[in-house]
Amino acid sequence: MSETGPTGANEPRGTPATLSRRRVLQLGLAAVPAVCGAGLLSGALATSHDVVRAAEPEPAGAAYDPSAHDWAFVMDTTTCIGCGRCVEACKLENHVPEGPELNRTWVELHVLAEDWTVSVSSPDGGHGVPVEETVPAASAATVRNAYFVPRTCMQCENPPCTWVCPVSATYRTEDGIILVDEKRCIGCGYCVVACPYGARYMVPAGDTTPKGVAGIADKCTFCYHRITRGLLPACAEVCPVSARIFGDRNDASSAVSVALSEKRVRVMKPALGTRPRVFYTGLEGEVE
Amino acid sequence: MSVHVAGRDLSTNPRVIARALRLEIAGTPRALRIWYSVLLLLCLVGAVGAVLCLPPGWEVLGTSPTVEWGILITTYVFLAITTSGLCLASSLGTVFGIEMFIPLEKRHAILALLCLVTAFGVIALDLHFPVRMVFGAVLSPSLLSPMWWMGVFYGAYLVFLVIEVLSMFTGRWQLHRVACVLSSITAIVAPTTLGAVFGVLSSRPYWHGAFTPPAMVAAAMLSGSALLGVVFSCVHWFRLAGFERAATLAVPAIRLLLTIILAVTVLVVGWQTAWGLYGNVPGLSDATAAILVGPLALPFWIFRVLLGLVTPLVLLVLPRTRTPAGLFTASCLAFVGLFADRAIFVSAGQIAPGTAVAGVVSSPFAAYAPSLVELSVVVGALAFLALVYTLAERHLPMGEHQGHAVGAFLGSSKPGRAAGAEDPAARGRPTAPFFDGGRGVL
Repeated sequence: MSETGPTGANEPRGTPATLSRRRVLQLGLAAVPAVCGAGLLSGALATSHDVVRAAEPEPAGAAYDPSAHDWAFVMDTTTCIGCGRCVEACKLENHVPEGPELNRTWVELHVLAEDWTVSVSSPDGGHGVPVEETVPAASAATVRNAYFVPRTCMQCENPPCTWVCPVSATYRTEDGIILVDEKRCIGCGYCVVACPYGARYMVPAGDTTPKGVAGIADKCTFCYHRITRGLLPACAEVCPVSARIFGDRNDASSAVSVALSEKRVRVMKPALGTRPRVFYTGLEGEVE
Repeated sequence: MSVHVAGRDLSTNPRVIARALRLEIAGTPRALRIWYSVLLLLCLVGAVGAVLCLPPGWEVLGTSPTVEWGILITTYVFLAITTSGLCLASSLGTVFGIEMFIPLEKRHAILALLCLVTAFGVIALDLHFPVRMVFGAVLSPSLLSPMWWMGVFYGAYLVFLVIEVLSMFTGRWQLHRVACVLSSITAIVAPTTLGAVFGVLSSRPYWHGAFTPPAMVAAAMLSGSALLGVVFSCVHWFRLAGFERAATLAVPAIRLLLTIILAVTVLVVGWQTAWGLYGNVPGLSDATAAILVGPLALPFWIFRVLLGLVTPLVLLVLPRTRTPAGLFTASCLAFVGLFADRAIFVSAGQIAPGTAVAGVVSSPFAAYAPSLVELSVVVGALAFLALVYTLAERHLPMGEHQGHAVGAFLGSSKPGRAAGAEDPAARGRPTAPFFDGGRGVL
């Protein structure tokens, strides 16, 4: 007994059907887009999940091993004097636009009133302004506490900015720093909107443009070009009271490891689950 | 040499084109020429704004790090959901075979295509590197990003719409029906991904939540239905192609749809507001306060609630105003109200950032005012939409086709076209211009 196979020829049951040349050609033609599609998809998946990748361009050559480091900041609000030298140093070091409305790092004055309400101000990004005049909410109330809070990108371990980026332009390095690839960024501003800490801005055209490219997102990198060469970030370097304690958490003797083990620290907005690498001492009720 | 478009043989000879253009202008009624002139002027204004938007980093927009998404994003969202809403409304006829919605098909498809192209144009101007986006989305995609998925679905939607329109005018009905189904499915998925762009941001409590994507679909239904209401009221008034069926079927269908979706939107807005008032959630309650009594109160109470919801609903429900004029007014108001709604939505998520942004503290609320460049782009985009649609209405055969007469709707086996639809034999024959001056249409 025999039955008609797909090619129309009579073939005994169990024997493989003979493929015509046309059928082979059809299958071959169908395979091309399938293979290309699978290749693209696998590439896309690989890129998509590759949130952690090497810095581009490599800042310190082969001498630097990112897997050996775990950078972090401890901001000591009990010692910060709000002088704003860190803000100026950052602007100079990283070609941040001079205007007070765009900053990679800044200093806030937090005033905690008797009723536990907090007034936050950051006049001119926090450098050289009589701050008492800029806290109207606190002026009428009895002040319970007041302190300066240095702010910067939190370099989150679970960063919202990296996964919202539609073209993987913002990414995390193996040592935990969030960077922006200026050749990939499309300037959509999604990362700026997604950042819970307000750490990003879009670079305007002008004389001073970080990385020399206008229209892309910019943020603090912990001065990645410096720390990968064994230097401190510019802000930590110039701080006169060591309120910005920077270091490698993998090194137990580093200043940051000592501070983390000895001081009582908190992170900002812990409920969001972003796991910041910037820790604070002396923060009160406003961290949520 | 000539090309065959929409049933006509069009010459590509420049002299013939110039002569045809002269004849066309000479034969165009005065009122229509004024309409064209106004729209062209507004398009020119928009083009100037667009050119100023192009260089990366030029600070010609009114946005700031605190309010990074302004009126261009609002316009994109508005147009993108409108295109989805058009398709959703029309799919009741094209996919499910409900007789009264079938006359919507041709006009909805052209409007949807135009809205989507305009939306892409506007978003490209808001991006600093739009070309880089196209390559980046393919070569280094982020599958975790809702914005990437939004691009995928709206890109697919554009392809399906193009196929739908082309197959509709070239008579490839099998392909057309498949395109109708695919575009209708994409029309639901695409606005939900657009909603997810906002909804996934836990840092923005006003946007955050699973409520945002379906609310975006509801907004899409409203804007699409409202635009169809405007267009089909004009079809009825000016006695455009297929106006008999428009009057007997399409106008009542749109009125019904608009009434239902307005009632649904009242509930959505009501619950959204109530949600914001409960619990004093930081960011959410601040944004709600901004909407109810703060800087967004005027657009909310006047444009969103009074003009955009209450008045259209009253006009549609009251027997005395159940007229084409009533539908036109209600549709226009609902359409404008929805633009205000999307502007409020985009602003409210950013108006209370809950943190200093790039060193700037916004207290109590962040400020944003669109720049002249932004406004010119918005006006130019809407004028472009109106201009091209008017040209399409004048020069394309807009009467119903017989493509759905074979009973291939989902769940239906009976023909979807009733008497009065366009005669199949007439397909390929040029349709007489409707603004011909001599037929009393204007």
